[in-house]
This record gives sequence, structure tokens and C-alpha cells, in this order.
Amino acid sequence: MVLIRYLIASFRVKQIICTASLLCLLIPPPTWATSWRSDIQASQLNFAPSYEGLPINGDFKEFAVIYTTDQEGEPEDLSVSVLVASADLGNSELNTEIRAAKWFNITAFPEAKFSCQEFTTDNNGKVFAHGELQIKGYKKPVTVPFSWRLLTTGEAVMRGELMLARNSFSIGSDEWASGDQIGLAVKVWFDVVLNPINPSL
Amino acid sequence: MGIKNTSQQWGWLSKVLHWLTALIIFLQIPLGFYAESLRLSPLKMDMFVWHKSLGMLVFLLLVIRLLWRIKGTIPQSLSASGAQKCISQAAHWLLYGLMAVLPISGWIISSAANIPIKLFWLIPLPAIVGPDESLKSVAAELHHISVLVLVAVLILHIGAALRHHLLMQDNTMRRMWF
Repeated sequence: MVLIRYLIASFRVKQIICTASLLCLLIPPPTWATSWRSDIQASQLNFAPSYEGLPINGDFKEFAVIYTTDQEGEPEDLSVSVLVASADLGNSELNTEIRAAKWFNITAFPEAKFSCQEFTTDNNGKVFAHGELQIKGYKKPVTVPFSWRLLTTGEAVMRGELMLARNSFSIGSDEWASGDQIGLAVKVWFDVVLNPINPSL
Repeated sequence: MGIKNTSQQWGWLSKVLHWLTALIIFLQIPLGFYAESLRLSPLKMDMFVWHKSLGMLVFLLLVIRLLWRIKGTIPQSLSASGAQKCISQAAHWLLYGLMAVLPISGWIISSAANIPIKLFWLIPLPAIVGPDESLKSVAAELHHISVLVLVAVLILHIGAALRHHLLMQDNTMRRMWF
């Protein structure tokens, strides 16, 4: 009797194992999303307002980019935060001016943010992040185009360029609002090196 | 009156260059101090466009003057001693030097301050140096000292011309007029 019970039990265990194995084959493999974080030392976020049509090149010294790609390497999420007070136009007088209320008003709005969950790509592999840019309390839809390249070192590089209208965010108000001297269009371009954060399920 | 200088008389080109430079310098000095005194504003930026444009025009006129002077001759000094001639020559060459140092140091200030230059709102001037706060301070110091020296030498220059005209009653000042 004991032997018979043992054989039946053993058969059931095998059945369970086989069934479980078959089920495992039917379940799709887990999706491995990868998140990437910018390496601030190796990255650049530049901006250039224009004066009489000529660029005044500057950059933001402190910013962070978090980018998430899915298993296929397709974009899922992009989040950028910029410490506006780190803006540097290479001139102390201008740096003081752009921190004032008429420009970035850094006391009230120390941070600018871009967040995006909607992406498209063109035939050349360029990614277009259709997200929302928040500066100085204003939220505006903005499309950020960028190229994305994985390096053999395991890092990735994100590069892009866009034009922003400073008046959309009330940057440069009152006497500066006309754009006659300091143009309304501001060029923004970035070259960001990102490292993968630990992959998660 | 011919275009060329002779040993007795200035030609009309030298006279035009002299008086045009004089006029611009007399505008430039107060304009520079006024522009600097303003808070950062569109008016300040416009005043500096004028200041930089006129400054570079002085430099251009200086280059033409020096080429014209090297190519031709200049009238002889009138009724002056050897020492006076030496002082006169030194003052003239100091004026030429300042007319070069001031615009070039101004160009360096603007470039080191990362401010692009567009002469008369038309002609872009490339940056002569990259953004550099300490270089900007040094160039600004040189610019300020130079303008004070320029004022001193101009007082000497005008004083000497008036001395020739009123006291010595020679032709020195008259022959620079039209």
C-alpha cells in the first residue's frame, strides 16, 4: 500500500512539474526596463540667448536627466530637472541680471523641469520627446528632439538641440519683453552622457 | 588744397582724419562714462553699441592715418625748441598709441564679458578672446587708465595748439584748419 501511494504521489509531482514547465513556456519573458542617469561631469546643457542677433553662449552647471528605455531599448520616460540658479552666461553682471524677477526669478522658481512619456521616432532613429516643460511656473508643451547612442563602454549619449521662445515663460519681461535687443528665441542644446542604473523588472 | 601733406601744409585727407577723430573722441569719453553708469537695460546696451562702434571707427581712422603718414610726409614743426619738438612728438605718438589701446582693450572687455559686438547694429565683430572674468577686469582697468591718460594728453595737445595760436601766433593751428 505504501509503495502504491508513493508511486501515485510521485506521478502527481511529475505531472505538476511538467504542467508548470509547460506553463512557463507559455508565459512571456519578463520585460527588462533600463533606467539611465546623467553623468553631470561628462554632460553639458547649453543655452544661448541672442543679442542683436548674435549668440551669448551659456550653460547650466547643475541638472539631472533620468531616461528609461524598455526591453527593446525604446523610450518610455524622460525626466529632466535643471537648477536654474546654476545658469552661467560667462559674465557676472549678466548672471546677476538673469537671476532677477524679470528673467528666471530664481528665488521663486529655482528649478525647471521637463517630463515626457510620449515619444516618436523618425526614419533616422531620431527620437522626439513630446513632453511638458515647466519654467518659472509656466507649463508648456515642448518637443525635444534627440539622438540616442549606446557606447561600447556601457554608457549612452543623448544629444539634441531645440529653440525655445523665452516669452512663453515670461523670461525677460518689462523692458526686455520686445525682443528687440535680446531675441525671443533661445537656442538650447545638450550633450548628455548617461550611465545605466541597476536594471529592474 | 591738395589731398597730400607737404612740408608746409596738411593735405585735406589728414585734416578730415584729424577733425573726425577729434569729434568722435569728444563724444566717446562722456558716452563711455555715461553708458557705464547706467544699470543693465536696453538703453545701456544701445549706448554701448554706439561706444563700441565709434571706438572701432577711431581705430580704423587711426590705421588710415598711420598708413597715410608712413606713405607721405608731414609739415615741419614751427617755432619750437628741440625739447618742445620732442615733447610734441612723444605726445602725438602717445595719442596714436591710446587710440589703439582703447578700442582694443574695449574689444577685449566685451569679448571676455561674453558680449557679442555688432558695430552700428550692422557689422558683427568676432570675439577676440573667450569669456574670462579676470581678463575682463584687467582689460577694464587698462581701458580706464588709458582714458585718463588720454584726457591728460588731450589737454596738453589742445593747450599746446592754443599756445602756438595765441601766444606764439604762428601757423601751427591754422594750418590744421580748412
